[in-house]
Amino acid sequence: MLFRPAKALAVAIMLLGLPALADETVRISGWGGSEVAIVNGLLTNVLAEKLAKEGITVKYEPVDGDFSQFIINGLSAGTAPDLFYVDVFWARSIFSAGQAAPVTQDVSGFSANLLEAFTYDGKLYAIPKDFNTLAVHFNKDIFDDAGVAYPSDDDTWTTLQEKLVAVHTALPEVDGLCIVPEYARFGAFALSTGWSPFDRQGKTVLDERFRRAFDFYTGLVKSGAAVMAADAGQSWTGGCLASERAAIAIEGAWIISALRDSAPNMNLGTVRMPKDPESGKRGNIVFTVGWAVNAASKVSRAAAKVAALLTTEEAQQWVLEQGLALPSRTGLADNPWLRGGQPEQMTSRVVLEGLSDDHVTPYFFGDVGGSWMQPINAALNSVILGEADADTALASAQSAFDRMLAK
Amino acid sequence: MSRVSSDERSGWLFVLPFTISMTLFFVYAIVRTAYYSFTEYDLFTAPSFVGLSNYTTLVSDELFLIALRNTIGFSLIVTTVQTVLALALAVLVNHAVRVRGLVRTVFYLPSIMSSAAMTLIFLWLFQRDGFMTAIVSTVLAYRRHMLLFFVGMAALQGALVLNARRSYEGVSIFDPFFLLAAAFGALALIVACALAGLLPVFDNDLLISWLNTQRHFLFMPVTLWSVALMNIFTTVPTLMLLFLAGLQSIPSALYDAAEIDGANAFQRFRHITVPALRPVTFAVVTMGVIGTLQMFDQVAILGDAAPLASRVTLAYYVYESAFPAGASSRIGMASAAALVLGILTIAVVYAQKSVGVKERAE
Repeated sequence: MLFRPAKALAVAIMLLGLPALADETVRISGWGGSEVAIVNGLLTNVLAEKLAKEGITVKYEPVDGDFSQFIINGLSAGTAPDLFYVDVFWARSIFSAGQAAPVTQDVSGFSANLLEAFTYDGKLYAIPKDFNTLAVHFNKDIFDDAGVAYPSDDDTWTTLQEKLVAVHTALPEVDGLCIVPEYARFGAFALSTGWSPFDRQGKTVLDERFRRAFDFYTGLVKSGAAVMAADAGQSWTGGCLASERAAIAIEGAWIISALRDSAPNMNLGTVRMPKDPESGKRGNIVFTVGWAVNAASKVSRAAAKVAALLTTEEAQQWVLEQGLALPSRTGLADNPWLRGGQPEQMTSRVVLEGLSDDHVTPYFFGDVGGSWMQPINAALNSVILGEADADTALASAQSAFDRMLAK
Repeated sequence: MSRVSSDERSGWLFVLPFTISMTLFFVYAIVRTAYYSFTEYDLFTAPSFVGLSNYTTLVSDELFLIALRNTIGFSLIVTTVQTVLALALAVLVNHAVRVRGLVRTVFYLPSIMSSAAMTLIFLWLFQRDGFMTAIVSTVLAYRRHMLLFFVGMAALQGALVLNARRSYEGVSIFDPFFLLAAAFGALALIVACALAGLLPVFDNDLLISWLNTQRHFLFMPVTLWSVALMNIFTTVPTLMLLFLAGLQSIPSALYDAAEIDGANAFQRFRHITVPALRPVTFAVVTMGVIGTLQMFDQVAILGDAAPLASRVTLAYYVYESAFPAGASSRIGMASAAALVLGILTIAVVYAQKSVGVKERAE
């Protein structure tokens, strides 16, 4: 009997000591590489106190290797984390399978383009965490040595090509650009003509505008402005820039972290994608990644809270100022950090501006997925290698699209 | 009676672990795959029965037909070439008297490397202006030199042997001393001709697309020919070891008897070695057929270094259907293709067994 009040007191003290929510553990996951620094930095430097106040313990499990496969396996086996990355490239396969919980928080601060990329059937399924667009990155020293003017925001395809040819003529051991036969880079040129990957009927039509961009891109090698990246022993355009084999690279802001390791002293400049000389417009592709809550999560409310915290203005500002990724919130577009003169500040500014280019589409191809790019990649490849002429290559690409999209 | 049942029980106990793993990972998996092949399934929503539609889609899917053709061509080429080469190498190593251990080790080296590391090395060797291209380019540039060398050497050797035979009987055409002399003579001839400016070197700026190409050679994409080359290089040593073990179990008395009867080296090889090695050859061919029909890793690692249609095999097609980039899984299609691959493998092995190399030695 005597013990009763003591027990009650102990329980009362314990209850007072508890935070607002019961202590919940949220498992979150994304891919490895530089992302690990971002998430770990956010969790320890920016969000630690807030998470403690909410009574949420975050267990971060980064995954190296093919993340989309990891998450699809995990979701189908019921072992997936509560909160995970979705790339706009494959997000649809998760959303359409009902594996992501719809976002309920207020998302008015985020860029509309990015929100649209994660909207399926009228519902938003992921909070965009960052994004990237393509830009022209160049090695100033190479242009100085060659006595050629730097690429500029006013460049058209032709003026940029002339500069690259001039560099190669002055410095024969340096090529202008290492090109890859991939839609992921070529697409920006095709889009700038006003061509669209899918027309109103959902068909892909390789029209005159596409042909113009195709001829320009495949002609870069012949004109002496570019070399195939594979022939220079590289798999991406940035590899050649880093090894000083090429004067420019067409990549997103991810090139900064690659150059930080492989060419830390490069005198880097970044300008926007060149304009189509006929339309005078610019095209670009948006690559974006968001946080999605597992629809089957037992702690979905806490997971949504973590997603919200990871994408607050404060969190994104920290990520931006570390030069790690570009903010998906429009409020940060005129952050003072972006006006700085450091290469990563300049690059980030230019890549951010790419989002407001004239013709911008996300790196996403409907239900067909990545295989949509195969016909275009094969055509680019065979024409650049001289195995087929543009007429034959594009005719076979067109018939491949007709078969693919007829299904 | 009780003795028998106790024997039986321990017998069952011995095979129990294997039976369990076989039931779990083979029988169960195959039944499930067969079931999924008649359904449409994306790993999330419940599978819906669609009858034979996956199979009819397969036959009309261009990529599947390409994969089927590629797989059969690849298997045919690689199995044939690697079996012949492995046998030849084994005979060679078996004959090496002095440094047999070293030779065997050196020949075996390619097999101990992981297939992933090997593929990366070959990616580099197969660059358009890489090592392989350099070899072809050198051969082309000095083709006249080489031709002259062989013609000159044959002529000199013939002259030397004919001359010797006038005085001595039984001089072999391949007399080693004369061969050496003929080689030196031919080399001197080339140097003289080159110095006199009679032998032009062909400058060629060759760029050969070994992997990244949509061209075909005979019935197979050039890319797969390159992969075949790499595959042969890595598997021949293991098969050579099998042949070598077989060779060492052939009693030498057979060879001695044949030699006394006047059989030459080729006849001994043809009538003793080949028939005696038949069980080993059966194992080598069967392993080769199974391994090549299911080839996956080397084309998967190639990735974007080669166009999909030039490198797709049935096993890769299964994977592509199960995990398509940026699209929902097509487990039904993947299962149907996997079953086709399985049935094809069994059929080819049985066909091989009944019309090809027999399991037993003669």
